[in-house]
Amino acid sequence: MALTGIQIYKLLPQTNCKECGFPTCLAFAMKLAAKQVELSACPYVSEEAKAQLEESAAPPIRLITLKSNGYEVKAGNEVVMFRHEKTFYNKPGLFVKLQSSALEEEVKSLAKRIHDYCVNYVGIELQVDGFAVEDDTHQPDKLKATLAAIRSVSNKPVMIFSDYPENLGPALEQLDNEVPLIGCATSDNWEKFADLAKRFKAALAVKADQIETLAELTEKIKGKGVEDLVLVPMGKNLGHELMLQTQLRRLALKANYRPVGYPTLAFCSSQAQMVQAIAKYAGFLVLDAFAEDLLYPLLVLRQNIYTDPQKPIQVQPGLYEINNPQPTDPVLVTTNFSITYFSVANEVESSGYPAHLLVTDAEGMSVLTAWAAGKFDAERIAKAVRAANLEEKITRKRLVLPGAVAVLSGEVEAELPGWEVRVGPREAVDIPKFYKQVLQVN
Amino acid sequence: MPVEIPKEKWPGSVLTVTLGALPSEGGTRKRVVTVGGETTLPFLHFEGEIPNPPVVAIEIKDRKPDDWSPLLLEAWKDVIDDPAQWAAAAEAAGADLIVLALSLTNRNGEPTTPEEAVANVKAVLGATGLPLIVLGPGQAEVDNTLLVAVSEATKGERLALGICEDKNYRTIVATAMANGHLVIARTPMDVNLAKQLNILISDMGLPLNCILMDPTTGALGYGIEYGYSVMERLRLAALQGDKMTQLPMIVTPGFEAWKAKESKVGEGVPKAWGDWLSRAINWETLTALTLIEAGADIVVLRHPESVKRVKAAIEELMAAKTLVS
Amino acid sequence: MSRYIATRAIRGANALVREAELMLKRAIQEKGGNQKVAFPNTAYYLPLIYGMTGIAVEKLEDLVPVIEHAKRLLHPIPAESQWTPYLGEALDCGMATLLAAEAIEAIRFVYGLQPERMPGFTLAGGTSYPELDSPSNGRVGHLNGPIDDIQLRAWGIQLVDGRMPGFAAIIGAAKSNEVAVKIVRELQKRNILCFLSGNVNGRSIIHQLIEEGVELGYDTYTVPFGTDTLSAIYALGFATRSALTFGGLKAGQAREILLYNRERVFAFVLALGEVDDLKYAAAAGAINFGFPVIADTVIPQILPTGITKYEHVVSMPFNEIEGADDLERAERLVQKCIEVRGVKVKITEVDVPVPYGSAFEGEVVRKSDMRVEFGGKYSRCFEYLFMAPLEEVVDGKIEVIGPSYEHVEPQGHMDMGIVVRVAGRNMQEDFEPVLERQIHYFINGASGIQHIGQRDIAWIRISKNAADKGFKLEHFGKILHARYHSDFGAIVDKVQVTIITEPELLQQWLAKARAAYDYRNKRLADLTDDKVDEFYSCTLCQSFAPNHVCIISPERLGLCGAYNWLDCKASYNINPTGPNQPIKLGKVIDPVKGYWTGTNEYAKIGSHGVVQEVAMYSIMENPMTACGCFECIVMLIPEANGVMVVSREDPSMTPAGMTFSTLAGLAGGGLQTPGVMGVGKYFLLSPKFISADGGFKRVVWMSSILKETMAEELKKVAEREGDPDLIEKIADERYVTTVEELLTWLQEHNHPVLTMEPMF
Repeated sequence: MALTGIQIYKLLPQTNCKECGFPTCLAFAMKLAAKQVELSACPYVSEEAKAQLEESAAPPIRLITLKSNGYEVKAGNEVVMFRHEKTFYNKPGLFVKLQSSALEEEVKSLAKRIHDYCVNYVGIELQVDGFAVEDDTHQPDKLKATLAAIRSVSNKPVMIFSDYPENLGPALEQLDNEVPLIGCATSDNWEKFADLAKRFKAALAVKADQIETLAELTEKIKGKGVEDLVLVPMGKNLGHELMLQTQLRRLALKANYRPVGYPTLAFCSSQAQMVQAIAKYAGFLVLDAFAEDLLYPLLVLRQNIYTDPQKPIQVQPGLYEINNPQPTDPVLVTTNFSITYFSVANEVESSGYPAHLLVTDAEGMSVLTAWAAGKFDAERIAKAVRAANLEEKITRKRLVLPGAVAVLSGEVEAELPGWEVRVGPREAVDIPKFYKQVLQVN
Repeated sequence: MPVEIPKEKWPGSVLTVTLGALPSEGGTRKRVVTVGGETTLPFLHFEGEIPNPPVVAIEIKDRKPDDWSPLLLEAWKDVIDDPAQWAAAAEAAGADLIVLALSLTNRNGEPTTPEEAVANVKAVLGATGLPLIVLGPGQAEVDNTLLVAVSEATKGERLALGICEDKNYRTIVATAMANGHLVIARTPMDVNLAKQLNILISDMGLPLNCILMDPTTGALGYGIEYGYSVMERLRLAALQGDKMTQLPMIVTPGFEAWKAKESKVGEGVPKAWGDWLSRAINWETLTALTLIEAGADIVVLRHPESVKRVKAAIEELMAAKTLVS
Repeated sequence: MSRYIATRAIRGANALVREAELMLKRAIQEKGGNQKVAFPNTAYYLPLIYGMTGIAVEKLEDLVPVIEHAKRLLHPIPAESQWTPYLGEALDCGMATLLAAEAIEAIRFVYGLQPERMPGFTLAGGTSYPELDSPSNGRVGHLNGPIDDIQLRAWGIQLVDGRMPGFAAIIGAAKSNEVAVKIVRELQKRNILCFLSGNVNGRSIIHQLIEEGVELGYDTYTVPFGTDTLSAIYALGFATRSALTFGGLKAGQAREILLYNRERVFAFVLALGEVDDLKYAAAAGAINFGFPVIADTVIPQILPTGITKYEHVVSMPFNEIEGADDLERAERLVQKCIEVRGVKVKITEVDVPVPYGSAFEGEVVRKSDMRVEFGGKYSRCFEYLFMAPLEEVVDGKIEVIGPSYEHVEPQGHMDMGIVVRVAGRNMQEDFEPVLERQIHYFINGASGIQHIGQRDIAWIRISKNAADKGFKLEHFGKILHARYHSDFGAIVDKVQVTIITEPELLQQWLAKARAAYDYRNKRLADLTDDKVDEFYSCTLCQSFAPNHVCIISPERLGLCGAYNWLDCKASYNINPTGPNQPIKLGKVIDPVKGYWTGTNEYAKIGSHGVVQEVAMYSIMENPMTACGCFECIVMLIPEANGVMVVSREDPSMTPAGMTFSTLAGLAGGGLQTPGVMGVGKYFLLSPKFISADGGFKRVVWMSSILKETMAEELKKVAEREGDPDLIEKIADERYVTTVEELLTWLQEHNHPVLTMEPMF
């Protein structure tokens, strides 16, 4: 059985030196018990303790960080099979494939578009993580030129894939102080790849269509001193890919089977593969092509699946104007929990009624939860009204509270003299009816 | 190097539910659809049975809808004024099931009458041999009036009637029991509420294998993560042996995705959103595919292109079965 | 069962079966065995026979085995001198009676004697008989006879979905026409379906109603079956078909059909006037269905419950019913019927002259807008709810004793007491405080009314606006009556409210109320974990933390602080499928750490296998998990050999090097982390608070806000722990925010942990 935080604490130096990044040894011990940090973060742990803590010493899936000048993409360190059990931590990196056979100018312009791609989702900027260069011409100089073309427009991390490890050298030489991912090492070429990875301090992708083969390869490569590995399970079809990914994750987490305790990578050509890779355990995705209309939903999906279930997605607090409201139109108040915001905003938007939607900072909680936790009270609402400068913007001062917090109406009135405080419906669906029947807007 | 793959041996399994009845069974359908029966998580063929693949339903309306995206109206433009033709076109587009959603008002803006509802349901039954799901307009009283009439007029067809919610389920359940239909039980993204409604419905005497549960989902970007996790949890609970969670799950990614601004709006949106039509279809497809990974047994879609893609994915997910036998 | 009833029922049954046999014999002779027999417009043949025996009667000769079956169910009439068990016999005979009765009615159909003719009478909607109803035949007036399948489905759905609470089979004749009308109106008012049949000396309630011009038929939910007792069989045919249609049952599943009716069909028999042998026999038949019989004459009662949900036979001699006149007596009689069958009546509207709804809950009535106030600084207001026996509570009765507020000057004040009596078969004394606390929410729902506080510190204001609209003291009663029924109908059957302003009476009741508050406080204090055999689960938070398991015991309230053991118990009774379920404790595994077989089993199920065991009284070993809504976090400070307690409201740094919000990440999420625990703040006061680890004395640091808001209570805890100065020895954020400072503080203040044994 895994050790508890208290048991681990006993084995630690108990000096509260804080060098591990945690305020006390007990806090560190608890994180260690939850497999969220590595024992090696503690510089003073005794050899004896290390031996006893071996099982808790490292996360079951190794953290791999690809680095370039100014960028980092992490994968691994996951501790659960299902996001509801805790959360998924490191969003899988999305890399777009570029081929060495492409013309340099084409590569440049495409890489530039990929680099610049940025889409806003609830106030978060979502972007592509990097490039995966494929040596489809099997020419080292072409590979080198393609990489150079990318680097002329973008510094985002790269992956380089070739069937011939010897082709990679010239390309890798031009990378300065980066950690790229190279591969894919197979049973036939793993030694050369291992040497290469060691020489260039690169992470190494290991490919096989069977878990046994993957495990053998990683053990051998580890024996050569390369530990930053990424698994590429090659399924025969979508269902097979799902089974392999599931089995790898289970082996790592449930059986603590170290030879496959690495993040995985999925090469995706179909939408189903992409969705599945994001939902089911891939640490990196290599996308076949670049298309805005697909990247946007994929980036959003990744954001959603990797949202910490305990920490809901928040929207930017502030004033949102819907359907071109006039100073005489009502002010609706809600919290900044994304789902709450979306339900209200969508309902108002599709109703066609104009509204000033005031979103308060309730630390991302829904109306009732925030109210119960004291994050959505009269004081905060009044503060938000003032911060949004509504006293001046609005001529007919009507404030509509969510029905679930009807209890606040008296207090809000007291906080906001001169405002008419109305209690709206409990559910967003009833907002149009409320406009019609209570506010008597047509 | 032999590796022992950890396999889960679950004590429970999902119930099988059959929609539609053949003439020999008292109905008029040319084929029936059976869902459920899984003994493990979605598509993990190496450790359990996935006897019935998830199926795709296409949602049609009893008249041209007022609030659908212009892209959808365009996709169905030749049939959108006639539910029978629409049903036939949906079948041709690859649907395994038809969902007929009744509107609150008829095309003249008057309240839909029970007679109209029955006529439309009968027309759809006449135009397609697929099993049918009939949904009320979503207002308790109207739902009850229309669905009771439909239920009685289609006795023995094994339609699925919906939506049963905690505030309004008794009438629909009663009429389903009296006329040999199924019901859809919907709860707002919560495992315990889902269980509770299933208990209440089965307490009325409707056998569990006549209930489909709709745990509700949000579209991609609009709360899908909640629906996704609730579905995973419900499925895990079912496999762990919790009887009241062992019903097949139906979800409505079509409805959710096409409600999103990303699908509805073509102009005045960021350039990074890309082409409108592709984006809208991707939105629906990705939402549906995600939910299938979470254990959906029936996904209800709206655009024919999404149907094609989702069906292709299901086929590939099921094909892996042969690799492990 | 009463020997008297059994004897008469058995006698009645023997006679009727004999009669049916003779009638059948003659009919076969006269009409031939192949003569068709059927009720109109039904697919269920002769429904009761079909349901009970599985025999699909289509011709006369099909009835032969039915009568044989009935004969086999008969028992001899008990001898005068002999006491034998006769419940079973009587019930069997009752069933035989029903089979015979339906057979007889079917034969009468063959002879054109059913439906019963009633010249000049027209049904307001009913089963159609083309040969009688057609104008060419001169429209023969007739009663309804059996209900057809179309109507069965329409009403059946309403009975199943609850729109219609149940049906009443009324047999006989009322004391007067006036009483007959009143009874039917009272039932109609409650949406209860009335089936009419039978007579007393030739006069039937059907006659009475027709004479008074009451419309009878499907449209008015009042169906005249026939004026003889036998036609009451149609009511049971209806009940049988309901089970076949809506219960998914098959013909011949007699037991299941009877059970279905008992559990789901809220019907009763109301016998008006003298009860003869046949009526006794038929009543015994109805009891098989779980339908109780209420008679308005003197007959022996059968009160122990068993076959029916409650009493079997209740006698309520009409003239002895309390009431000013016959009409009031009729009302009470109906009330009793509803009670006996456990029919729940829904009240949806709160009848007050001001708008009512949760939207008004937060309204504040300012002094300047106020008409009058009760309680607060200048007057006294109390509220007191208690349970009373069913027969002592008159549902809906609202009394105001003493002057109203008209004489009080504007913005003035006066004393008031609100006394609520509730009764219910599922009511328990323990629910009294839970229900009493609701008064606050209920009264606040009225627009222009503000309610603060509870018990004898309640404070209510009525605004000028509400007063102008006509809000009177009695309206408090109306609100409470309606809301208790709608929100707590599962445990409350009757609600009576008395508003007292009369000074002397008010003092008397205030004294009673205070005695009750004291009693309840004591009860709560005495309610310890070892005095109960079940705890409660709470899964309200599982939507946030799916694997979190909350176990609530009398001495450990929910970590959110909102739910204690009594609340959970009440919640379970109100909503048996809801988030609070009883956990049977089973065997004690470790009384010190707080392990039971039952709690451990629940931990596994509730956490979906993630948590294996929960120690109720320890933070060091398998502590209870937390969702995220805890009021306080308790965390081990290993250096200090004790624990700290941080309040949610305390934003400052703690000796653990983390603030509340950082700690929340460690404590929450439904994970079991020994050394950290989220709790409700009142748990700190419990003798069971980490009692396995040394109890409250382990607290070395505590947010000052807790010390302040619970000063009184903490003082008592210190005394209980035998160290009256203990609270002063506990550090807080004003003096100590690091471990080093904490250790110094403990030394300086000579905290007891210094001498306690190591925590681990």
